[in-house]
Amino acid sequence: MKLAKQEYRALEYIVGKEYITQEPAILDTYNQVWGNQFFFDDKHSTRPSAVVLPASTDEIQAIVRVCNEYGILFKAFSSGFEYLSLALEKEKGILLDLKRMNRVLEIDTKNMRAVVEPYVSVYRLQLEAAKHGLYTGRIGVGYSAGVVAAECCHHGCQHTMVFTSGYGRNVLGVEWVLPTGEVLKMGTGESGGELFSADGPGFSLRGILRGRTGANGGHGIITKASVKLYPWYGPAEWRQSKEPGEPPSRGQLPEVPDGYKVFIPTFANIDDALEAAVEFCHAEILYALSIGMLGTAVPPEGNDEEWAMLQNLEAYPEAGEVSRNSLVLIIGGQSARELQYRQKCVLAITEKWGGRFLPHFNEPEALARSFVDMIWSNGVPALRVTGDFLPSSSSPDGSPDMLKKLAEREAEISRRYEQSGAFYSVRNVKRGISWRPEENLSTGAQGISVALYDPYDPASLEAARRFISELFDPRGKFQRFGVPARGGCLQIESVTHVHQNWGPRYDNYDLWLRKIKKMLDPKAVADWSAYIPPDYPHYPQEGGYVLPSYGKK
Amino acid sequence: MTWQDYTHDMQRCTRCSYCKWIPYRYMRNTDFIEGCPAVARYNWHAYAAGGKFNMAYSLLQGRIDIDDTFLDVLYRCQMDGSCDVSCKVQQDIEPLQLMQELRIKCVEEGKLPPPHLMVIHGLRKEDNMMQSLKSDRGKWAEGLDVKDLTVEQAEVVYHAGCRYSFDKELWPVARAGLSLLQKAGVDVGIMGAEEACCGGRAYELGCSGEMEKYAQHQMETFRTAGVKTLVTPCADCYACFKVLYDKIGRELGIEVFHITQYLERLLKEGRLKLTKKVPLTVTYHDPCHLGRLSEPWVHWQGKEIKVEGQMIVHDPPKKFRRGAGGVYETPRNILKSIPGLKLVEMYRIKEYAWCCGAGGGVIDAYPEFAVWTGAERLREAGAVGAEAIVSACPWCKRNFLDAAKETGNDIKVYDLIELVEKAI
Amino acid sequence: MAEEKELAKIVGSSHILGGVAVLDDYSRDLSFTPRMVPRCVVRPGSVEEVQGVVKWANHTLTPLVPVSSGAPHFRGDTVPGVGGAVIVDLSRMKRIIRVDPRNKVAMVEPGVTFAELQAALEKEGLSAYMPLAPRGSKSVIGSVLEREPITMPGHHWDSTDPLLCAEVVFGTGDKFRTGEASGPDTVEEQWELGRVQMNPFGHSHVDFQRLLSGAQGTIGIVTWATLKCHYRPELKRAFLVPSPSIEPLIELSYRLVRYRLGASLFILNGLNLACLLGQESGEVEKLNRILPPWVLFISFEGYGVLPEEKAAYEEADFRAMARSAKLKPAADIPGASAGEVLVRLAPPSPRPYWKLRFKGGFQDIFFLTTLDKAADFISAMAELVPPENTGVYLQPIVQGTGCHCEFNLYYDPAEPAEVDVVRRLVRLGGEEMARRGGFFSRPYGVWRDIAYRRAEGTRNMQRKVKGIFDPNGILNPGKLCFEVKP
Repeated sequence: MKLAKQEYRALEYIVGKEYITQEPAILDTYNQVWGNQFFFDDKHSTRPSAVVLPASTDEIQAIVRVCNEYGILFKAFSSGFEYLSLALEKEKGILLDLKRMNRVLEIDTKNMRAVVEPYVSVYRLQLEAAKHGLYTGRIGVGYSAGVVAAECCHHGCQHTMVFTSGYGRNVLGVEWVLPTGEVLKMGTGESGGELFSADGPGFSLRGILRGRTGANGGHGIITKASVKLYPWYGPAEWRQSKEPGEPPSRGQLPEVPDGYKVFIPTFANIDDALEAAVEFCHAEILYALSIGMLGTAVPPEGNDEEWAMLQNLEAYPEAGEVSRNSLVLIIGGQSARELQYRQKCVLAITEKWGGRFLPHFNEPEALARSFVDMIWSNGVPALRVTGDFLPSSSSPDGSPDMLKKLAEREAEISRRYEQSGAFYSVRNVKRGISWRPEENLSTGAQGISVALYDPYDPASLEAARRFISELFDPRGKFQRFGVPARGGCLQIESVTHVHQNWGPRYDNYDLWLRKIKKMLDPKAVADWSAYIPPDYPHYPQEGGYVLPSYGKK
Repeated sequence: MTWQDYTHDMQRCTRCSYCKWIPYRYMRNTDFIEGCPAVARYNWHAYAAGGKFNMAYSLLQGRIDIDDTFLDVLYRCQMDGSCDVSCKVQQDIEPLQLMQELRIKCVEEGKLPPPHLMVIHGLRKEDNMMQSLKSDRGKWAEGLDVKDLTVEQAEVVYHAGCRYSFDKELWPVARAGLSLLQKAGVDVGIMGAEEACCGGRAYELGCSGEMEKYAQHQMETFRTAGVKTLVTPCADCYACFKVLYDKIGRELGIEVFHITQYLERLLKEGRLKLTKKVPLTVTYHDPCHLGRLSEPWVHWQGKEIKVEGQMIVHDPPKKFRRGAGGVYETPRNILKSIPGLKLVEMYRIKEYAWCCGAGGGVIDAYPEFAVWTGAERLREAGAVGAEAIVSACPWCKRNFLDAAKETGNDIKVYDLIELVEKAI
Repeated sequence: MAEEKELAKIVGSSHILGGVAVLDDYSRDLSFTPRMVPRCVVRPGSVEEVQGVVKWANHTLTPLVPVSSGAPHFRGDTVPGVGGAVIVDLSRMKRIIRVDPRNKVAMVEPGVTFAELQAALEKEGLSAYMPLAPRGSKSVIGSVLEREPITMPGHHWDSTDPLLCAEVVFGTGDKFRTGEASGPDTVEEQWELGRVQMNPFGHSHVDFQRLLSGAQGTIGIVTWATLKCHYRPELKRAFLVPSPSIEPLIELSYRLVRYRLGASLFILNGLNLACLLGQESGEVEKLNRILPPWVLFISFEGYGVLPEEKAAYEEADFRAMARSAKLKPAADIPGASAGEVLVRLAPPSPRPYWKLRFKGGFQDIFFLTTLDKAADFISAMAELVPPENTGVYLQPIVQGTGCHCEFNLYYDPAEPAEVDVVRRLVRLGGEEMARRGGFFSRPYGVWRDIAYRRAEGTRNMQRKVKGIFDPNGILNPGKLCFEVKP
């Protein structure tokens, strides 16, 4: 829906002609994200009325005020690389592309924090922080994720959570443009001090900033964040390289950098591997841990090459049973003594659980590849394999014991879809059990499972929806495991109705969420696609269960 | 293939935005991690390759038309292929080919930005992309004692290309390239005023018919001239002869070399010796058309199939061109063997080099964008401590000279030929 | 009276306390908070009873003041801010509901003290995360919800640590379980599934536990909480690093905390170390004369698969760091041994509470800063307050990204002149520290105004949040930024 002349002019006045558009050719490049097909049967979600490119908090504040004045829905994003980052609930809505807010404002080496604008990507901060002997954790979706998006607005589970935490635990300061247009700075930022605490005075408003997931634009725009950094034991700079003629995906480090070691033990069975993993976490020695997802293989150039490798499983041992029972352990040390102690622990615990170090997993280049994947990312190759993946479909977080039960229950269901050919599965390879520990396992772990399907294959798409519906049905097999709400990802309230269906069974949390939404956004101008609406629209129900609304925008 | 044949690719573009950056694993200095000049300059996602996929998909579905905005977005792009390399680190889709087919479609519908119309008009009239007189084409070689292949025979044809033929400031480089071959005793001739455009740039603009025409012409010309080998100092021409002709099924029937490749051979054979010192710190700029865009074409016919349930593969297997097959080491080998010369690398090199700014018609239609892009490259050269930036393409040299002048940057701009000449 | 009869039906008449003496105890504490006599004291024994009381309070618009720790109180947060309030004394709820050694989690009710918890944890090879020598009557949940800093900065990932999940009754009377604790099952049923109420995040877009932490009971009344625990070490070693000035200790501290070396780590001035070690005033004074001006304390704990090696390498690396900072760590220094300090870290403080030993009274001024600013604050405070009567305690927090900076003003409460001076200094000192950038994240007493004057946006938003969870404003009115409703 086009904006009225005065609405457009009001926005144009704020950002300047060059930084606002309502050209259809450009608008339609802001409503095609990978998950749209799954939700809407269409690669296009609602076309925004306009897109703006603001340069500052002042501009954003002014834009939000205009939205309030004219009842225009708005949503901001940085990389936009998420399942459903750009969907708008209403036809009259604008998107704020934060590409111009791209500064690393501060890195405080001593107090271990960075202050960044929204477009700063995780990898960029990793590159900058390394010069200061610091590090920010590697995000699931990889290099290009925005730091602010990960820490404040979206999910923020980090592959290195055992050491670097995640889920907003690293937020030390925030500048937040509320849906009303007011600017809220939390904690020390509000008094004009350095951004080392976002908590208080009194209780912390980080509580309404985000939870296990952020609001994905549903309660305003974060224009600046101060994030906790962690020690980096590696070099200030590094270089991944390849041989001439090799494809660009082949670039890698020749070996694990000084300051770190990587070990990949393989255990006799998954139970031993999981118990060993628990003990490794409790030993408080890890920088990163991965169960079953090793990253040691030479990244296949493309699907055809990967298929060739899979057909020769010997050449691609990661695809085999043995990788299921293997762990990637990354340790770092600020001194040779520390590294040596941690290595001894690795060896001792490995031996205790009957693990061994298979040569093809533990040769230097393989370890280096694993290191790169865990610490910086190899991107999201899953998207190439079939076109889409369903991440950690249910996955509440919790204890390893709970996650194992959850994974087994989910595997029973996914097996059906895999065996029918609706999902991708490497032949004869059983589904693994994997979780990502948080804070040395002191707050539990995140369950990981992935189902790969093709959104443009009608049967596969249909199966994926049935699969998710099974997992997301609060009357079903997972009702006791926790709310499957990741935010963004698969929890698009107008389609999967997670809050509406799970709230009543989970302390009516959705009622509190809706009150918070109403309080923050009285005019309902911040898009709630991946948050919660102030009031639930009417949806078809079946005995109190709100049916999924796939295919309806 | 037509643009609609890329529907699968349009659908599979996930909006990861990797096309905007160099491949992440090669990022080193955060000041120099962008890969796509267009989106770096103009910000809108449409300017990125992912945006083109989106536009194409919307066009396919009848949601948009090819209007001025569409044309502006499509043509404000150097077609340099950085996006293609970055995308294909992760994906099996073809951003550059889709953009090429969109341009072809625009031309078919009679839609081309006016500056390009002028250039194509000139091409049709005078057989060159420089809006100059055909009769003036051979003037760059005046005074040189060289075989005229319209009347004589030689083993090798030295094809100067349109930019070298008509950009007077660059004539010394073209002449020097030819002289080097002669010094090495190569049996070489030129077509002089009868040299015609390769058609490559026209193709990039979407005028595929023009390139067909020139391909046919070149085939006949070289057959008539009896040459066995073509050597060109222009990277655009090299990529056109080597890759684009093959793409459209045209075989020149002769060996095609870029001058750097031929010089390397001459040096290896001892027919040229680099003996004089050239005390200079230089950085090498990979021309897109000598680098990633010169990767040999891969012909493939087959179909998409599913394995392991839903994994998308091809039957027969399809080899994607991911940029690794370009000419990267040869120019560097030559520079490293020049006595006294110190080679420092920039942060964006080889497959993921930043474009000089001239390509894709940008130098004609959007000169300020071309200069901006070139200036960014010169800034990068300065950042690594280079006194000079060296390339191997006249379009790069021209754009760097313009950018240096516009921005008051006093960095020296050389073609590799010039440095070899200094060292002989 | 009729209303109190209703209360009796909820908690039982034997759990409603009145009488002048009892009410007087609850009307005041050892801070300068103005005395306010409550209407009565109720002592619920279950979440249902708490819910009942809260609903009753909403119906009758009666302010409630939740209290979980026993006396003496020091911060003013348990003194009613308004007349006619009912104290909700949670000390009856004293169950240690579960200790989970596999996941290192303890689930406790609000009346559980540190000594009680430590005893239970010890049997399972665990230990509680402790603040520095809390008083014996201190509630574990009370301490955790107040965000009292723990002495192990390497284990302090977030300001809410060690809090995990909680069961809470909001000001509306609604019961709620935060994070992973939520769901249709009872906690016992959850345990069968392996759900141990350990993951604090959510639900979904809200971290409800953050709204309880630091809230001074204004958002809800917590009826149980799960807490992180750590391994009880097989061996411990401790060192003191004396220094005539604070700066080298700050530098050393940065290096240690950055790499999470060591277990407990903090800095005290000589006076505070004397108070911690001395049994009574005379001994405190004697020690204070001998002890160095500044001391850094660090302990190393050996646990896990290679406990000896763990403690050994950490100690060796620490020594190397101390050497390069030209500092000399020692197990014993004149006046104190690290072992003596170590012994005081696991249990709560024996009576009298250590801060009362020097002069019988104390007032704290504490706030957050970064460690590199601490020296400036110390100098500034020394200009306001005689340093000879001022204890200093620096506790790195959140893995070194911040620092709890605490000044303890010791005085004789029986000396009116001293009382007046200290009363004035608590405000003056607070103002000056805030002016210099000290962040009063825990705004007790007079710090309310100081803190919220600089936090208008936070204030406005907290009031809106309060409006959701306690619309009638019955929970601890007058605390934080919440005015008393007319």
